[in-house]
Amino acid sequence: MTTETLDAAPSATRTRRRPEPPRRTAAERWRRRGPLLPALALTILLTQVPLLGTVYYSLRARNLLRPETDEFVGLANYGTVLGDEYFRTAVLNTLVLTASTVVLAMALGIALAVLLDKKFLGRGVVRTLLITPFLVMPAAAALLWKHAMFNPLFGMLNWALSVVGIGKVDWVSQFPMPALVLMLTWQWTPFMMLIVLAGLQSQSTEILEAAKVDGAGPWDTFRRITLPHLRRFIELAILLGSIFIVQTFDPIFLITQGGPGQATTNLPFAIYQTTFRAFEVGEAAAAGVIVVIGTIVIAAFALRVISSLFQEES
Amino acid sequence: MATVSYEQATRVYPGTGAPAVDGLDIHIDDGEFLVLVGPSGCGKSTSLRMLAGLEDVDQGTIRIGDRDVTHLAPGKRDVAMVFQSYALYPHMSVAENMGFALEMAKVSKDERVRRVREAARILDLESYLGRKPKALSGGQRQRVAMGRAIVRQPQAFLMDEPLSNLDAKLRVSTRSQIAELQRRLGVTTVYVTHDQVEAMTMGDRVAVLKDGLLQQCDTPLGLYRRPANAFVAGFIGSPAMKIREFTVTDGHARVGELDVALSRSVVDQLAAEDATSVLLGFRPESVDLVGPSEGFPVTVRLVEELGADTYLYGSITGAAEFDGPDIVARIDQDRPPRIGDTVHLRVRPGQEHAFSPATGVRLA
Repeated sequence: MTTETLDAAPSATRTRRRPEPPRRTAAERWRRRGPLLPALALTILLTQVPLLGTVYYSLRARNLLRPETDEFVGLANYGTVLGDEYFRTAVLNTLVLTASTVVLAMALGIALAVLLDKKFLGRGVVRTLLITPFLVMPAAAALLWKHAMFNPLFGMLNWALSVVGIGKVDWVSQFPMPALVLMLTWQWTPFMMLIVLAGLQSQSTEILEAAKVDGAGPWDTFRRITLPHLRRFIELAILLGSIFIVQTFDPIFLITQGGPGQATTNLPFAIYQTTFRAFEVGEAAAAGVIVVIGTIVIAAFALRVISSLFQEES
Repeated sequence: MATVSYEQATRVYPGTGAPAVDGLDIHIDDGEFLVLVGPSGCGKSTSLRMLAGLEDVDQGTIRIGDRDVTHLAPGKRDVAMVFQSYALYPHMSVAENMGFALEMAKVSKDERVRRVREAARILDLESYLGRKPKALSGGQRQRVAMGRAIVRQPQAFLMDEPLSNLDAKLRVSTRSQIAELQRRLGVTTVYVTHDQVEAMTMGDRVAVLKDGLLQQCDTPLGLYRRPANAFVAGFIGSPAMKIREFTVTDGHARVGELDVALSRSVVDQLAAEDATSVLLGFRPESVDLVGPSEGFPVTVRLVEELGADTYLYGSITGAAEFDGPDIVARIDQDRPPRIGDTVHLRVRPGQEHAFSPATGVRLA
């Protein structure tokens, strides 16, 4: 009798590890769901309906200038988009813009987070100031950089260069991509910094003390103990940042208009031009769908990283 | 291996008035196992962290061997520390955890592997060398933390409550393993605990701290038999000695309804202090259950039967009100009295501990 209970006990706990949801009556289930339905309906209306609309348009040849030509063409638009030099350049530009911004913002973000992790007088003020770029509206930030920073005649950057004896540079014409990367790095460094700072502050002080007693210097401690701890936080920040930066539109529209030539045309701007300059609704919709799929792939990675982060914590 | 000495070492946390550790003076011999014990907030962990270099020393000196390490960086002191949380590096395997300090000290890889193997063999960790700390049990993690200290062959081991995260049974067995290991390796060890049983069973000597001040530093038996003051008397020993004030008349302390003679020197010291009362405490084994005519009456408040021993907690009849029981006696387990009974107790002559009512210092 006793042996039986002893044998049964572990298997019972094993099956009970994932508790089954309690059975409820249909009425009770609907009472619980009911209040959520308006929000669900609104979400579907605002996100899924436009997406389905885009998918529908992407399968049709439709140009707003020729309203009479609206016919089903299957995947032809996708073929056009993927074979189009213009879109391929946009893809490349998006990659360059996103990757450079993310890498630079992350490097700066780590450096600033390490500084902010130390105690010093006025830390709260410094932290607030460092977060500010992230809080400025993208359009306002773009205008600010366009005029106050990049302007060849009265911009701050040229003034700073003139102090060290370097002549006038027309940033937006001569270095359009670096100028955009600079502006976006300014805007996204606080985001990277905040996530890395959260990671730094979640590190146990006893582990850092153990490293000290073990004779590790500051650089060894950072490289061997802190960076491995931060790895998941850095991955998360890079993935989330990438998703947002891929969608950059305001500064390109306001500062470079995708130019000179196509030098700074990224995917969102290319789609905008196809829709509202060429009025090629079908092709633009197809490009939009391709971008959504690409973003979903990145987001899937991001979600996996987030969930592994929580597993680590528990 | 080396001696360790605190010389008037003081630590004041910025923004606080009273020092956390106040003029600590302890000399620890080469190979000695010294336990720092005291209630929480007594400064024992701070003292250890001062020795490790994790806490500044505001005044005084700390020496390891002949070296003045007072202001030396932790990594340069050649001490190894075992933390309460073990502080294992979570992304490194057991072997990497144990070898990290050697790697930082630029020890060759072959030598590193050899020493990690050796430590793993001593601690029975050989089959876990490739695992991450996450995949180990609490006891195994504790052993890895010990291993990390052993591989360094340091001049001193510093241990900050290394057993407090283990369950009660494992704590007792690990306790004796650590003590045995320390004796075998002969490395000077400073060990911090709040558990007086741990302190008594492990240490060659035990230093009792309270409010940042060293109360007494002696062998476990020395502390038990001749506590320097009322605090040490009440802190060391299980069950704790109850200490309370009794009025003194004509060289006798009035214990309930019985006069207990005090020794000549105690009476003289009390007279010098102009005191009309005395603090007395009795170890449970110094108190006997006797017949009505021989002892003072006590109301039984609680009887604890632990199997090997039975303890009676009582209130002395006729003495002023006291918070909780004011006497504990170890009694014959065959006929335990019931709660509420009145029994008679007698203290074996000369086995009472007398303390000054003004300062709490031992009178003898």
